[in-house]
Amino acid sequence: MSAVEEVEGVVVVGPLVVVGLGSPDRGDDAVGGAVAARVGERMGGQVRVVTREDPTALIQLWGGCREAIVVDAVASGREPGTVQVIEAGADAPPLPTDAFAASGRGGTHAFGLAGAVELARALGTLPPRVIIVGVEAATFAYGPMSPQVSASIGAAAAAVEAELAREGIEATTCA
Amino acid sequence: MTHTLKDGGQVLNVGMLARVEGEGGMHIEIKDRKVVDVQLNIFEPPRFYEGFLRGRHYTEPPDITARICGICPVAYQSASTEAMEVICGVQTTDAIQTMRRLLYCGEWIESHALHIFMLHAPDFLGYDSVLEMAETHGDVVQMALRLKKCGNDLMDTVGGRAIHPVNVRVGGFYRMPALADLMALRPELERGLEDALAAVQLVSTFDFPDMEQDYTYVSLRHPDYYPLERGAEVVASSGVRFPVAEMPLHVEEFHVAHSNALHARFDGEPFFVGPLARYTLNFDQLSPRCQEAALSAGLTETCRNPFKSIIVRTVELAYAFEEALRIIDGWTDGHAPSVPTWPRAGEGVGASEAPRGTIWHRYRVNEAGIIEDAQIVPPTSQNQSSIEMDLRTAAEQWVDLDDHALTHRCEAAIRNYDPCISCATHFLDLRVKRS
Repeated sequence: MSAVEEVEGVVVVGPLVVVGLGSPDRGDDAVGGAVAARVGERMGGQVRVVTREDPTALIQLWGGCREAIVVDAVASGREPGTVQVIEAGADAPPLPTDAFAASGRGGTHAFGLAGAVELARALGTLPPRVIIVGVEAATFAYGPMSPQVSASIGAAAAAVEAELAREGIEATTCA
Repeated sequence: MTHTLKDGGQVLNVGMLARVEGEGGMHIEIKDRKVVDVQLNIFEPPRFYEGFLRGRHYTEPPDITARICGICPVAYQSASTEAMEVICGVQTTDAIQTMRRLLYCGEWIESHALHIFMLHAPDFLGYDSVLEMAETHGDVVQMALRLKKCGNDLMDTVGGRAIHPVNVRVGGFYRMPALADLMALRPELERGLEDALAAVQLVSTFDFPDMEQDYTYVSLRHPDYYPLERGAEVVASSGVRFPVAEMPLHVEEFHVAHSNALHARFDGEPFFVGPLARYTLNFDQLSPRCQEAALSAGLTETCRNPFKSIIVRTVELAYAFEEALRIIDGWTDGHAPSVPTWPRAGEGVGASEAPRGTIWHRYRVNEAGIIEDAQIVPPTSQNQSSIEMDLRTAAEQWVDLDDHALTHRCEAAIRNYDPCISCATHFLDLRVKRS
């Protein structure tokens, strides 16, 4: 637990959290957890790294944080394995909630990352800085990750670590 | 989105409820102020679970069928383990059954909290989504998230995973949770119970359309408790009651052209499973506190207004918290996590009460323990005829509303069922055609 800080008039507690989001069963949706595992190993306990399957859990998880880094599979039409970094915190413009409203995986009751970000924004609990490290998926079918996405785990982990380095947190092990 | 058809009819497209995995739709045709056609179209691609269970080992259905749904996996696990234990001829222990009930409480809490506040309440409060609702009812949404987290944590502690638990097996569990881990959940469960009881009062203040339906209610029933993880028998509001094993004799599935999900009849008629049925057929088994909460919220011991399902669901939410606390308070360490099972040729049925209604599985297994036949009958499939009946009633009752208002009313009528069309559909495209 870090000291209480004040960021632009908002009192926040705690440093940051890294979240690997997605289902380990659903093909490339497992990439969030895989990247989180890689980052967790290399950070040696300096930062909180967790995995979650349920995006609604993010809203409480990152409550009070100054920053959250969320790794998730995305479907944006790019080449599978492409890593994108998107800023989505309270200081960033809103995400298009069409993605929450009209796409994604998991059925009627599922709730997407974009929905979690925008719901937290509406509730006033969105951290000032939310970094989404998105890995373009090739498949969400039950089974293993695609070769392209498996091959991008290192690049996605590097994107997370670059953000952590910006915060002054460096890896403790070699890549 | 609204546009006019060539014949002057109107088409309304309603946005989807959440993330998409398939498509479902609703077609309503109105002629001379009368509804001439109602179809709940489920476009979900066939998933062939029953087919690929054939040839699998009898121990596999709990893990395989749990993957059918991320919201009600425990329902599938409970029904499949019970069916297999019937076939194997084994009795589990009271401790195992109690822990199964606790796991199921987690699922009910997760599912009911999500549906009540994030999917259904916006219909009553005049919002299109929980995102809009959060702007003015932030405290309610925060409460919903707290409640849902309780369910996730309970599932994680007992089932090993918040979604698709991995600790369930034929014969019991792979390991029992430690009392210390369960006790650690107690404070949030206590707060959850208080929140849920307050929520009963909150939802009772909503403005409910006046609509009563004469459904045949069907539910599990147990002599000792409100039905969750299993029941001793099946009861119906028609007065029929029979052992779970006879479910296939009473429920007939059939295919209709406009749906990829099988419809069903109970003794030849449409029927209704879910919270309203459970509540009406088992009110006497609710705890005194939940009975009191229900009655003070304006319910009677029976409920036939589908829009008031949100009150019943919230009563069940409170009951799940109460049950979870009761079970944890009575738990001790040292119980065997499972009983041994061995394959035996035979056929068996298992049933449980998923958040949205009775689910039952039937399996036939050979002497080597290989599944030869499987039948999985989820609640939303069984409720399709009732959903269509409600839409017909709603469209006729409120035919004078403009298309926008009628669309909202009809969509709310669908959501009364908390349809797990993912187990089925994720996209509702409501089309009203007037001529």
